[in-house]
Amino acid sequence: MKRSFNTLTLALIPVAIAINIAIGQIIVLLKLPIYLDSIGTVLVGMLAGPLAGLITGALSNLIWGLSGLNPTYTPFFYVAAVIGLLAGIFTRIGWARRIWMWALGGLITGVVAAIISAPTSAIVFGGVTGAGTDLIVAALRASGAGIMQATFGQGIVSDPVDKLATFLVVFLIVLALPLRLRVRFPNAEHLPK
Amino acid sequence: MANAFSLYAPRPSGLHRLHPLTMLAVVGFCLVAGLALPGPWVPYLVFLFVILPLAAWGQVLPNLLSSALKIALPFAISVFIIQGLFWTGGTPIAHLGPLSFKSEGLLFAAQSTGRILAVVGAFLLLSLTVRPDTLMIALDQRGAPKALTYIVLATIQIAPRFQAKANTILDAQRARGLETEGGIGRRVRALLPLVVPLVLGSIIDIEERAMSLEARAFSREGKKTSLLVLPDSAAQKAARVALLLAMAAAVAIGIWLRRAS
Repeated sequence: MKRSFNTLTLALIPVAIAINIAIGQIIVLLKLPIYLDSIGTVLVGMLAGPLAGLITGALSNLIWGLSGLNPTYTPFFYVAAVIGLLAGIFTRIGWARRIWMWALGGLITGVVAAIISAPTSAIVFGGVTGAGTDLIVAALRASGAGIMQATFGQGIVSDPVDKLATFLVVFLIVLALPLRLRVRFPNAEHLPK
Repeated sequence: MANAFSLYAPRPSGLHRLHPLTMLAVVGFCLVAGLALPGPWVPYLVFLFVILPLAAWGQVLPNLLSSALKIALPFAISVFIIQGLFWTGGTPIAHLGPLSFKSEGLLFAAQSTGRILAVVGAFLLLSLTVRPDTLMIALDQRGAPKALTYIVLATIQIAPRFQAKANTILDAQRARGLETEGGIGRRVRALLPLVVPLVLGSIIDIEERAMSLEARAFSREGKKTSLLVLPDSAAQKAARVALLLAMAAAVAIGIWLRRAS
């Protein structure tokens, strides 16, 4: 734990959370049909390891939600935590060295996120998001799927695409980081050349 | 420290003078009672008879109501249409062309709307009446790691500046001719020129932040003095224990009633 949590990592985490929030809002401005609200989380997982990624994800949703600006994010804090954790694990096992392995990691993360977010979405929010993707929920319910299946169906359509895009954007960002800074993070040896 | 990135509304109320951990226990109780107890109307009871009176005591009732309704309304509309119309094999009660509203679906939608109101209302009550820095100091005094306090408070300070920075980059790139409107392909292409400068600029700053943390003895062990003193009382300590017991009771009753039915 000591090794994965140096002061540089600690200074990175609040910046990463602010990145999640700021980019989440750019996406709303551009009216894109994805979220991209975990770029900072995946970045921390990649640079600083699974534990730091987990903390960044969980705190992102808790702070964003409990600031009162986006309270519906709070109950999904564990999903964000798992996204950061997976980004860290995939980096540790060497998947961040090649872009196609990293893209696969993004897809897997999306599937996992869809699976683990469905129960909360179904129990707390009645299976809907209040956004355009609810058309998918409606179609699945109309064709006889249960609430949990319909919610999961919505997630499995939108989450892998979103996480794939997130992982690819983070990959490009890490490639553009100055080497001098990159080598100081705990995961330096696992990053793309 | 009340700034743009928090809904905190300073008021001279007794609720605002409560210890942050007492408020945390109240919110925890609202969440647990609203979600653990069965029956579609329990969350409404929590919202109407716990959250709203407390908000009135804290003089934040208009703020809480307007925010809660603004957030809950899109969910409510969606859940009533989707679960009401497309409930599989329910009893139809109102016809709408080829479709019909099913009573089971509407009941489920009513329950979901109640849960959303209770969850969102509880979180909003906390945001409106507890200063984030006092909450973090209270947790810190109870042995939460200092790193956690730093992360939360630093984020609250950085986030509004970042949003401003994001807008500056958006304006700058638009001035250079970046198209941020139009077809979806065009909007996707606008993404990288906005995201990359924002992230790179800020990551390069963090080296300086790390150095200033070290220069202020952040990683030093031992007790540190806080300028903020949080008043607490025996009555509040007792109330917190009572709320924790009530939460455990709500979970137990919820499990027992579901078993029985």
